[in-house]
Amino acid sequence: MAKTVMVIDDSASIRQVMSLTLSKAGYDVTEACDGSDALGKLTGQKVNLIVCDVNMPNMDGITFLKSLKDKPGYKFTPVIMLTTESQESKKQEGKAAGAKAWVVKPFKPEQMLDAVSKLIAP
Amino acid sequence: MDLELGQARQTFITESRELLQEMESALLTLEADPEDQAAINSLFRSAHTIKGSSGVLGIEAVEKFTHFVENLLSQMRDGEIKARKENIDLLLECRDHISTLTALAASGIEELSPEVEANGAALTSRLGELLGAQEAKPEAKGAAKEEERLDGPSSAADAWHISIRFGQDVLRSGMDPVSFLTYLAKLGEVVSCTTLFDSMPPVEDMDPESCYLGFEIDLKSASDKAAIEGVFEFVREDAAIRILPPFSRVASYVELISELPEDTLLLGEILVKGGALTSRELEDALAKQRATAPGEEKPRIGDLLIEGGSVHAETVAAAAEKQKKNQSAGAKEASTVRIDAAKLDALVDLVGELVISGANIEQHSARIADAGLSESASVMLRLVEEIRESTMKIRMVPIGETFTRFRRVVRDISRELGKDVDLVISGGDTELDKTVIEKIGDPLMHLVRNSADHGIEGPEERKAAGKNAKGTVRLNAFHDAGSIIIEVADDGKGLDRERIAAKALSAGLIQHGAQLTDQEVFRLIFEPGFSTAEAITKFSGRGVGMDVVKRNIEALRGTIYIESAQGTGTTIRIRLPLTMAIIDGFMVGVGGSPYIIPLDMVMECVELSEAERSAADRRSYINLRGEVLPYVRLKNFFNEGGLTAGHENIVIVQYGGHKIGLVVDELFGEVQTVIKSLGRVYRDIKGISGATILGNGQVALILDVPRLMQSVETSFMARSA
Amino acid sequence: MEIRVQDNNGLSTVAIEGEMNIYHAMELKSVVMKALDEAEAVELDLSGVSEFDSSGLQIVLLACREAEKNNRKLSVKASSAPVDSVIELFCLGGLLGRRERKA
Repeated sequence: MAKTVMVIDDSASIRQVMSLTLSKAGYDVTEACDGSDALGKLTGQKVNLIVCDVNMPNMDGITFLKSLKDKPGYKFTPVIMLTTESQESKKQEGKAAGAKAWVVKPFKPEQMLDAVSKLIAP
Repeated sequence: MDLELGQARQTFITESRELLQEMESALLTLEADPEDQAAINSLFRSAHTIKGSSGVLGIEAVEKFTHFVENLLSQMRDGEIKARKENIDLLLECRDHISTLTALAASGIEELSPEVEANGAALTSRLGELLGAQEAKPEAKGAAKEEERLDGPSSAADAWHISIRFGQDVLRSGMDPVSFLTYLAKLGEVVSCTTLFDSMPPVEDMDPESCYLGFEIDLKSASDKAAIEGVFEFVREDAAIRILPPFSRVASYVELISELPEDTLLLGEILVKGGALTSRELEDALAKQRATAPGEEKPRIGDLLIEGGSVHAETVAAAAEKQKKNQSAGAKEASTVRIDAAKLDALVDLVGELVISGANIEQHSARIADAGLSESASVMLRLVEEIRESTMKIRMVPIGETFTRFRRVVRDISRELGKDVDLVISGGDTELDKTVIEKIGDPLMHLVRNSADHGIEGPEERKAAGKNAKGTVRLNAFHDAGSIIIEVADDGKGLDRERIAAKALSAGLIQHGAQLTDQEVFRLIFEPGFSTAEAITKFSGRGVGMDVVKRNIEALRGTIYIESAQGTGTTIRIRLPLTMAIIDGFMVGVGGSPYIIPLDMVMECVELSEAERSAADRRSYINLRGEVLPYVRLKNFFNEGGLTAGHENIVIVQYGGHKIGLVVDELFGEVQTVIKSLGRVYRDIKGISGATILGNGQVALILDVPRLMQSVETSFMARSA
Repeated sequence: MEIRVQDNNGLSTVAIEGEMNIYHAMELKSVVMKALDEAEAVELDLSGVSEFDSSGLQIVLLACREAEKNNRKLSVKASSAPVDSVIELFCLGGLLGRRERKA
């Protein structure tokens, strides 16, 4: 059974690239455009991994991560945070919130795939 | 992959266009209020997203340049650089440059022209100056660790040895050793793997959500150390990891054993079993280790240890980020779905066909006169109608974004001309058909430019006239009885009736001594080749334009109306139909052919009696309850054959405050029709705006009432003059 | 996840179906430990396990350790492909004794 990855990013083109790359590699992909959109979509269906941008409107990645940890069926879901090198302070904040995996933007699609497959096999 | 990435590139182009628009709005907001933190945040996020997406898509030119801009914005966000006027200017130029670069990327141009290149370099250096010392900071690169080879016997093992003890929290953060080992196995051949769970506490204390696992792994692999380290990058801080390359010194293994929590002998056995060491090597080494007196320097493993976190030193200094969010753009996106416009058009086409076939069914059902069928047909028709309305709504886009674009235009013009002009926008929520929005942009732009450029006076002139030195251009949109009205108004000097008349006279557009209403005089500015501007500026006034504006608006089945009072300002009012694709029509018969009149223009229908007809023919107007009503006999107008019926009907239509009568042979009633545009050949036929296919397959022409009206009024005036 | 425990003359069969992962680790631990407490011999039937992660493995490892310590018999009666692949990856085949792979 294919693993499901949820991609949360406010950039439609980044979502598109990630969806293409991951679904080619055999993952099922669902998309959300910010934290609150994502929380609204996490209602029971299985998500094996979440890729989440840090800087987003409405609900940023860190706030999302904190809320995720309170969600019974999802609190142990691995999360890859997307960040830019200029966001060191965000990274500290994210680490405090329990983010372990970070991928620096901009990334190549293969890099993203690589990071995802370290955490879950397709 | 390339083809699909191409699609993502397309998404990027659309998305960056929106983001650039947001950047511009934010910059203009900041110009008015340099302290507006929400604007700074929105600005930063837009630049940030453009940079991120372009990087992922490999559009280097955009990524590289936006990176510099983002640096500046990041400092602005942290309050280190103020949003001063010159900074805003620079950022606006940068925004334009990014726009140029994305446009080039959109057209697939990789090579930048020298001008673009030079412009980019100039902007980069100006950004650099602003960033000043900060940029000069050397990158704090982690000192590259060289693998050291110390003297001493090396192991004969040709495999990497990986020793890992996972921290207790890894499972809770979703990091599963299973995944890491699965991934590791892809790098080569796992020669041996020993799973250790010695650290698992007694049952009572064992927390099943904690991780107590450790592994000793031997891996034959051609990968380098960085790749193997990379497997564990996400647990680097939550696990003790040691990696020994093939043929490591025996001493390194011994060191490893001594550092691990498990029993020395057990570990030694594992290493021997895995083939990392022979038992002889192990014994020798352990003996030697024991012999080393305490206090003496131990052989180093140093570089072989991967110390959590220290390897990848992050470089760029970070600053505290305020948690303010800019709701606007994101909130909008959260509830929208992006659809290819072509798909939408296809849907609209289909709905159009559905409407026609619905009409067809209605006709048949009326003929058959079966109660059940009529019932079903009427339910279906109602649903079709609802589908039509919903579909049309999908195509509706608020005009706000188009309006906002003009803020920059007005700003640039007022800068250039030393004027102070405010752009006030209202009714931005008013929705128009997407096609209309796309086509109305340019004409509106022209009108706004004209207002700011020619309408609004210079500050001195304004003060002298007792007005506020600051001029105002107003953009407004609202719905009005089946139409959309867009107004471009200014509080400038107004149109000079005399000058326009004089100019028109000299251009031969009007006759000497002609008595014209204000409206007629004002309309002259829409004549080709008419321009009253004394000084031609770079923004407007080259003698082309207003006629093009008028043509564009008419192509949208719209009309323009001018209101102007000398000294107090001009308002240009554009009236547009709600939608381009379907109209509610009133069908009439003229000489046996069906014609359709847009229903919202039909006022009433009256019978034209024989007596009235002969009277009307003499004086070319009819008497409608005492009102003089010019009329046109469509049969003559379109040269339709057929005999004149015993009695004719007059359909009275109204448009833009004028009324005329259309004389037709038969009245058929209301129909809903899908407009099919006429081919190029028929496009210029006066009085026809399109065609439609009726339920019975017959083609009906749709009347262009505004143009019909014009020609009738002209001939009416000519005859009565 | 569903756990069914069947007692048969001192032999307790614990059949686990569904996801044997961290979300159910707490429950798993208590059920398996209770079975080990109450029965002489325990059989784990993992043939219905659809997902098996490290926390699931740890429960099996814990059970093995405790059984040995308390002189109980523990065996894995049957397993599923997800279980097998983890066992194989971690080279733990020997530890769990004879297993029958579900077809």
